[in-house]
Amino acid sequence: MEINDLKMIVEALLLATPEPLTESRVRACLKDEASALPLEEIIEALQSDYNNSNRAFFIKKVAGGFQLVTKSEFEPYVKGLFSKSGKLRLSQAALETLAIISYRQPVTRSEIEEIRGVSSDSSLRTLLDRKLLEIRGRDDGPGRALLYRTSSEFLQYFGLNSVNDLPKLREVEDILSEDQVDLL
Amino acid sequence: MTIKSNHRIDLDMFEGPLDLLLFLIKRDELNIYDIPIAQITNEFLEYVKLAKDLKLHSAGDFVLMAATLMKIKARMLLPIEAEGEEEIEDPRTELMKMLLEYKRYKEAADTYAGLERDERPHYVNIPALWDPQPEEPTAILENVKLYDIMLTFQYLLKSYEEPDTHSVTVEEVTLSEQTGFLNSLLLAKNSLHFSSLVKQFESRLIIVVTFLALLEMLRSRQIKIKQTKLFDDLIISRGNEFGNQ
Repeated sequence: MEINDLKMIVEALLLATPEPLTESRVRACLKDEASALPLEEIIEALQSDYNNSNRAFFIKKVAGGFQLVTKSEFEPYVKGLFSKSGKLRLSQAALETLAIISYRQPVTRSEIEEIRGVSSDSSLRTLLDRKLLEIRGRDDGPGRALLYRTSSEFLQYFGLNSVNDLPKLREVEDILSEDQVDLL
Repeated sequence: MTIKSNHRIDLDMFEGPLDLLLFLIKRDELNIYDIPIAQITNEFLEYVKLAKDLKLHSAGDFVLMAATLMKIKARMLLPIEAEGEEEIEDPRTELMKMLLEYKRYKEAADTYAGLERDERPHYVNIPALWDPQPEEPTAILENVKLYDIMLTFQYLLKSYEEPDTHSVTVEEVTLSEQTGFLNSLLLAKNSLHFSSLVKQFESRLIIVVTFLALLEMLRSRQIKIKQTKLFDDLIISRGNEFGNQ
């Protein structure tokens, strides 16, 4: 198949996909008309087409796949499409809860609350409602508590490609040495 | 000791007692390695009084921390009985570890806030990510009969393949456990799909017990079950008696 045909097929898939488009997804959609080109190359070609023709969107690599997203300069207009004046922002409590889960998953509610020192029920609920978290089974320990994990939507929400891309958590030693410097 | 009015801080801005302690340490330029426990206990207590007046929902967490601080303070006042070689741990060590651990995640939360800010102006075709709408199943068959549920259950069970292993294990799963499990799932979600519920279980036994729990909850009107057509997925949502055991 010609690169131009492939580009258009991938473009159609990008436009219609409900989640980031992966290589295996594309292969499944192409069925027998196997592509000799890796998805990455087709995406690159598409991306440069977009760059050359001044589009309002670009292709973003996120959550292990690719996705069409609008450019930031159009935010003031695009947000008019949605209630609550655009995207909702997460509260500090929700961000802290999410931070703990992302680095320690799978994790139980009591482990989260032990670190935060406060009840985290409502934060968990918000995060579950917004699909940034998933419940993944139960702990083996007493009480068989629910285990929480971050979802693929979590990666999309923060523009991360995979959980390996999480910003590195600082070591306690680093914080300590910095605090000592602060004091001088 | 009283808090000077110009130092008055909205307690709501703290995420909890650890956050408040970190703030006090930073403000007074205290050494986290060598926290002056008497001073910080007094300051902390002032804030706790405020929290109690304000009837903050997290006041309990603050009171608990105040008790911990006073316990540490008391232990520091006691003469140290050196017992042979044993090294006596500083009573503040535990608190210091908690503060540092919390600080790490608080910093990570700031990083996420930054990423969120960066992603904010970009929109994708998945509105649920930023504008969550309660998902309401479009049900055609409202009055699902018990028999329909049984048929669907058999159908789903058939489509579920037991892993081909021969080890014998005792699975301890009880009806009330699964009832509790379903309850907590329904607290977090407006509706559940039985098929996706089943996927996460490793054995038929757990699926069967979960199904029995569903039937029991259906009988006591704790849940509602909808189905769009025969053999289709069961959509479970909260019933009128949800939460009343």
